[in-house]
Amino acid sequence: MENRLKVLRAMRNWSQAELADRLDVSRQAVNAIETGKYDPSLPLAFKLARLFEMKIEEIFDDGFEGGDQ
Amino acid sequence: MSDVSKPAKRPMSPRRKRYFSALVLAGVFGGILGGWMQAAQRGGPASDLAILSNAPLPANFAIGASIIWVVGMAISLFIYHRAVDDHEERAYLWAGTAGWYTISLAAPTWWVLARAGLAPPADSMLIFVGGLVVNLVVWLWLKYR
Repeated sequence: MENRLKVLRAMRNWSQAELADRLDVSRQAVNAIETGKYDPSLPLAFKLARLFEMKIEEIFDDGFEGGDQ
Repeated sequence: MSDVSKPAKRPMSPRRKRYFSALVLAGVFGGILGGWMQAAQRGGPASDLAILSNAPLPANFAIGASIIWVVGMAISLFIYHRAVDDHEERAYLWAGTAGWYTISLAAPTWWVLARAGLAPPADSMLIFVGGLVVNLVVWLWLKYR
């Protein structure tokens, strides 16, 4: 799943370690999410959304274009 | 005067403290057990690697090692599982699954081959160590790739 985490982090001038501290996860977890190797759990996605004051879907993109299911 | 070119070292969060405590504790228990086993093995420390040997061990060591293993592992795992994040938990679960599959494939195969006289008797510790190695490799790959 694609995400804007790296851009959002850079806009705040945070390192991966700083973001990891704010989320109380490891730096490896932040790196894995940023590089798309790991999709966070729903609680962690909500934590990210709260931290960046955005909606989850504004941070993560599952590629769904909309329309009928 | 402080050095402004270096960012201040951030204090460890309680989660990270718990995490490293669990690792250090597991390392200490493992080190004590491994060293003690190697020394207690009849023939002395210079003989084969104790963990892969079936040589007799003194009863006092066996009782002590069993207690350290069960209590030490239980304490370390309890602290570890309270400290891991999402990402590592996933790595841990997949690594555990891969380790279990290794044991599931190796143990019955070796056992039936041994019963047919096509292989030496199954070595439970060798199978365990094999599962542990696969577990470790998968865990490291998923956590640090």
